Amino acid sequence: MHHDNGIWVSSEDLTRDESFLRSAEKEFSVETMAESDGSWTASRRDFLKLMGFGLGAATLAASCEIPVKRAIPYVTKPDEIVPGVANYYASSFVNGGDYCSILVKTREGRPIKIEGNTLSSVTSGGTSARAQALVLGLYDMRRIHSAGTVEGGEVKKLDWKELDNKVKGQLALGGNIRLITNTILSPTAKMALAEFTAKYPNTRVVSYDPVSSAALLAANQQCFGVRGIPNYKFGEADVIVSFGADFLGTWISPIEYARDYAAKRKIKSIKGATMSRHYQVESHMSLTGSNADNRILVKPSEQGAAICALYNEVAALTGGAGIGGPTLNDKAKASLKKVAAELVASKGKSLVVSGSNNVMEQIIVNKINDLLGNINTTVDFSVVNNMRQGDERDMMRLIGEMNAGQVSIVIVWGANPAYELPNAGQFKDAFAKVNTRISFNGSLDETTGLCSHAAPAHHTLEAWGDAEPKTGHYSLQQPTIAPLFETRQAEHSLLEWADSQNLNRQDDQPYYQYLKSVWASDMFAKQNKYSTPAAFWDMTLHGGVFDMHAAPVTVSFIAGIALNASGVTQPGSSELEISFLETVNTGNGQYAHNPWLQEVPDPVNRTVWGNYLNIPVEWDGVNNINGWKNLNDGDNVEVEVKGQKLSCTVVRTFGQMPGTVAIALGGGRESGGCGVGYGVNVNPWLPIEGGFIQYAAKEARVTPAGTVDKNFACVQFHHTMGVQAMGKEEGKVINADEKSLGWKGFQGSLTDRSIIFQTNLSELPELAEKMTEFHEEASHLNAQTLYPDTAEYFGTGLKWGMHIDLNACIGCGACQIACVSENNIPVVGKNEVNRHHEMTWLRIDRYFYGDIENPKVVYQPMMCQHCDNAPCENVCPVNATNHSMEGINQMAYNRCIGTRYCANNCPYKVRRFNWLDYTTADVWPGNEDRVFWVEGEDKPYYADNLVRMVLNPDVTVRSRGVIEKCSFCIQRIQEGKLTAKQEGRAILDNDVRSACQTACPTGAIVFGNLNNPDSAVSKASKTSGALAYQVLEEVNVRPGVRYSAKVRNANEELHS
Amino acid sequence: MSQPVAPVRHILIEGNKSYHNITEDLCSPTEKAPSREWILAFIISAALLGLYVFAVCWTVWKGIGSWNLNRTINWGWDITNFVWWIGIGHAGTLISAILLLFRQRWRTGVNRAAEAMTIFAVICAGQFPIIHMGRVWLAFFIFPFPNTRGPLWANFNSPLLWDVFAISTYFSVSLLFWYTGLVPDLATVRDRASGFRRKMYDIFSFGWTGSAKHWQRWESLSLVLAGISTPLVLSVHTIVSFDFATSVIPGWHTTIFPPYFVAGAIFSGFAMVQTLMVITRKVLRLEEYITINHIESMNKVIVLTGTIVGVAYLTELFVAWYSGYIYEQFAFYNRVFGVYWWSYFGMMFCNVVSPQLFWSRKIRRSIWWTFFLSIIVNIGMWFERFVIIATTLARDYLPSSWSYYSPSWVEIALFAGTIGLFFVCYLIFTRVAPVVAIAEVKAILKVAGDQYIGPNAKAHGHHGGHKSAPVKEDKHED
Repeated sequence: MHHDNGIWVSSEDLTRDESFLRSAEKEFSVETMAESDGSWTASRRDFLKLMGFGLGAATLAASCEIPVKRAIPYVTKPDEIVPGVANYYASSFVNGGDYCSILVKTREGRPIKIEGNTLSSVTSGGTSARAQALVLGLYDMRRIHSAGTVEGGEVKKLDWKELDNKVKGQLALGGNIRLITNTILSPTAKMALAEFTAKYPNTRVVSYDPVSSAALLAANQQCFGVRGIPNYKFGEADVIVSFGADFLGTWISPIEYARDYAAKRKIKSIKGATMSRHYQVESHMSLTGSNADNRILVKPSEQGAAICALYNEVAALTGGAGIGGPTLNDKAKASLKKVAAELVASKGKSLVVSGSNNVMEQIIVNKINDLLGNINTTVDFSVVNNMRQGDERDMMRLIGEMNAGQVSIVIVWGANPAYELPNAGQFKDAFAKVNTRISFNGSLDETTGLCSHAAPAHHTLEAWGDAEPKTGHYSLQQPTIAPLFETRQAEHSLLEWADSQNLNRQDDQPYYQYLKSVWASDMFAKQNKYSTPAAFWDMTLHGGVFDMHAAPVTVSFIAGIALNASGVTQPGSSELEISFLETVNTGNGQYAHNPWLQEVPDPVNRTVWGNYLNIPVEWDGVNNINGWKNLNDGDNVEVEVKGQKLSCTVVRTFGQMPGTVAIALGGGRESGGCGVGYGVNVNPWLPIEGGFIQYAAKEARVTPAGTVDKNFACVQFHHTMGVQAMGKEEGKVINADEKSLGWKGFQGSLTDRSIIFQTNLSELPELAEKMTEFHEEASHLNAQTLYPDTAEYFGTGLKWGMHIDLNACIGCGACQIACVSENNIPVVGKNEVNRHHEMTWLRIDRYFYGDIENPKVVYQPMMCQHCDNAPCENVCPVNATNHSMEGINQMAYNRCIGTRYCANNCPYKVRRFNWLDYTTADVWPGNEDRVFWVEGEDKPYYADNLVRMVLNPDVTVRSRGVIEKCSFCIQRIQEGKLTAKQEGRAILDNDVRSACQTACPTGAIVFGNLNNPDSAVSKASKTSGALAYQVLEEVNVRPGVRYSAKVRNANEELHS
Repeated sequence: MSQPVAPVRHILIEGNKSYHNITEDLCSPTEKAPSREWILAFIISAALLGLYVFAVCWTVWKGIGSWNLNRTINWGWDITNFVWWIGIGHAGTLISAILLLFRQRWRTGVNRAAEAMTIFAVICAGQFPIIHMGRVWLAFFIFPFPNTRGPLWANFNSPLLWDVFAISTYFSVSLLFWYTGLVPDLATVRDRASGFRRKMYDIFSFGWTGSAKHWQRWESLSLVLAGISTPLVLSVHTIVSFDFATSVIPGWHTTIFPPYFVAGAIFSGFAMVQTLMVITRKVLRLEEYITINHIESMNKVIVLTGTIVGVAYLTELFVAWYSGYIYEQFAFYNRVFGVYWWSYFGMMFCNVVSPQLFWSRKIRRSIWWTFFLSIIVNIGMWFERFVIIATTLARDYLPSSWSYYSPSWVEIALFAGTIGLFFVCYLIFTRVAPVVAIAEVKAILKVAGDQYIGPNAKAHGHHGGHKSAPVKEDKHED
């Protein structure tokens, strides 16, 4: 071993020492390992060493969690994608008439979150639960994967070319063609339809809405000559009367209405505070009713009578002619008299709306607004709202045509009449007589299952499009991901079948070019802001919206329209009436296949996964609050309406008028996704009067079935913060709920808690005084501590905090879905919610209080309060939860061993434990039998790689056995801090906005740096003054979340 | 009883035993084939232990979600069982250490078995804090030792960490104390054994020869361990009570908990000793060593501690009312009249009312009553822990989060399973070691005045059976 290169490794090497050379030669010989020379014999020590190493290595290898990694680098990296940095694209959420202007957050090319678009003048950055849940629907394995023929409930794949040929062949045969759609908001889609109709002149488009406003449209046509919905200005009305219109939850344009409504109701200063007053006339507790200042209870069939009564009172005061009307219950009549006086007093600044689907009722409502001088002020036709355009009478006519064999081709586009129509049975029979039935629907729903061909359209997030939700307000929709399946834009299909010359088939995205050219010609011509079509397109696509300022249009109530009290709904005489409501969660079933929406609790009765029969509660006068007929939550009943029986599960609901029950639409879907098997389909119960679908039935029969739904899932067991009723023993009004809590109860046990502070506007100064006293007492108590004050510690640098205005919170649940979406919170399924294992970091507690028969409601978003003196932190034996210098209660999942002591010790009960392997993140399989499965699937919901694409890569997916909770969106905070740091400036409010904050349509949630006196959150607390409070302030946990008290502007003399 | 000299003390061991008789009586259970009762009991216990192993595997495999706990009630039967078992253990330590300090010589008849019970109960108790963890495989995170997991260490502010120290100390001291006491007796067994058995007992008795030096060291060690054990009787359950007392949850956050828990622990421990002794003395025919006087003495402790516990319950109610604090008031109101009212009344009846029967001498000295009431007391003490844990959590601050809880089969199986674990240990113990401390019993054979046969003895005609020389007086006993 001689080195010629002059390199040596040691002095022995340099000197070529004999012993070194010998050992160097033996470097790789076996003998150096074994102690003996020659033969390779392992000694006891070597054996033990090797065995120890081998066992150790084997153990380590076997026990390490080795995740399957699928990291595929870009071959050519797109310019706009930087791994780890999110891209936002302005787009639109459009589903039939539901609209929201959105920003789609994408990471590495996949959409993961929906944000509101603040540039939109319609939605102003607000969102709804439905919009927030959009992104989950994209990653649904149950979507139709390709075009094909529908046979036996399955899609047999066809090439798009083959399908086109087949369809074109059928179209060429002639015969009547009908398109069934919901409201179409897209002007370009309407152009495509026009091209199609031009090619096939015997085509007619039949539109209806899943929940109809057809009578309102018809009434407006009659009254004002405009078949459209006016711009209702809830923000400009001092007095609002709503006859069953759920305008904050589901009615027409709720995001917009909620924003305007809440703006008018925020308390800007305690002195001289003003608010609008909101009366809701209804039988069941709707989301909007729960926010009302006063509810006037009328049976569903009395709605017409109530409208007439209000009309008569208003007419009497304004010099109009009375019209008589059906009899109304005395209490409501007396109340409406007072309401009328108030309406007249704020002439021109009031608003009366109705959710009724009866033309005469809507005409009378229009006339009331006319008498009150609201037309052209709060009821503004300058901008027409396009969100409801459908008319179910067209559908009824179509059923007749199909039955008569006059229709040879039907194309279903987005609508699902086989489920949504009350006479779905008739529809199905008639539909079967149509020769060619084509569906654009993305999933194999009830109607598509009956079709002959499926031509599945893209998901909203894969598609190009535009929308004109209100006249002159345009909104673009752009794809944020390449189509996941072999789907095709519906408009593309129509243009293709119409052999359109305007469709550039050579292009990658033909409909994109089509849309762009429409915008370059039609829309561009309507504006003068941009000088070139390219700039116009680019800027609008970037911002997502474009408003054309319409000239004010005034309308007047057409003279000579006969008001006819016999045209309104006539009160029924049966013992029990039933009303059907639309919830924010599932709509009329359109959203039932979205697990996020299914698992966000119904805002009012707090149930999930299905529709439940709301029944009234009764106070026995002594000690018990019973369900109607002594029914309990979760009891099954047989309900018979229109001779059709269904088995429902009841939920006791405060505020449900005695003699009435209510149930939500949208349950009992039969096919198409994971909503199948939850709830009951009540559509067949809906009566049709004068061609219009009615959302109440005058007669219902309920018989207890004697069984219980074992999976009854309601996230809140105790519903009230104390409701008042007459106590027979006491002979005076007592707090009935406090008494019913056990034995004789004790008064004040709920109401004296410092959880909710509320009052009526007239007593606002008294509340402020009371709260000041409370703050003083609490701070006195909290000062009695041995521990040093932390104020100094948290007083410098950043201190994150939140302010929630209970007066602005309407309980819509958008924040909850935003939180689920942002933070990878798993869906646990109905059975697990039944066991109170829901994982939501943010929940909206709903408390009833006040009069037991007609209670008031307060919503309280509740999430980790990030206490500076957090009780959860000191009890964790392993330091898994601790406090950051910025006042955030942090959770180190990897550190957590799951003793759950923190969850026990949390006064707010916001900590969530991964009881089971909800995210299927565990290393061992076979433990997933109780996590969320979709019926008939071969693996749990989250084990599906497609669904997992919705996960936010910035947020850890938690495994079984660890605690989790609200992190104040720590990933957003880190991102915001980084941005500020890179830009070398102090952090601003806009750098960090929590997911719940951005989702809120009313701006109830404000988040930011409490140490900055100019931050929005500091200002919000300051503005609220004494009305700002911390929940359970006297417990001295020092929460970082403040609330401001709920103030209601009730007319206290209404019922006296 | 011969007169005119009244006996200064009652005899503690009946039946005119000689030292040889004692050795025979107490060693024989380890030498004979097991009785049919023993075999039957063992089969049942082992089956329950098997169930326990199954339920643990199920829990670890499926997750804590196989239990019925929920977002509001995060501890249920698991921690109830933990506190219950820990409490039971306390009687052994009390008998060994505190009664020793109080010179209660009657304790020698029962101390061995009671100490064994302590150890087995602590083993059972220790199961729950471990298996209730969501990620039991990371349980070692709670030990503060230098590690490579970053700068995070165990949280010394957490009562759960204090539990770790309290229980592990308790277990090791109790084990040492018990085993030290066993050494001379194991040597006695060894001396009578042959073959393999002899070899094993030789190992386990550490080559005990009975030399004066051995006895001297043994005495010193026993004394030191007794000294260490004494504060443990008070400290262990005090620290367990801190799991609740240091929280902010109304109904848990009370300063009365340490003494209340200690009294309750002794109460339940004695009840468990009674349950075991009544059976053991019958099955192993030890009625002459564990006499009705023993039983009566322990019943007196039960009535005392039961009353202390009762006072604590009433004090809690008074303080809740007196506090003027709505949450505290509601928590106790809810305990008594809320959804779990039955468990509160169960607790009150079993723990406060039922032991008062022991004011009657007749009942106190009745084997059947004692057995029956000891079971009742153990049920009551289980209820107490359930009341404290589940009913408090079920309705705390925010009404929106109130919930209800009842156990799943897994939780029930775990509880039944630890009873199996306990009895498997105890039954094996009765077969391999003398259940009554031979050496200590021999030392008290002649404590009664009428058994004295020294120089100043009066004539005791019918007590003249004891011809053997007086043994070396047991210093620390006198």
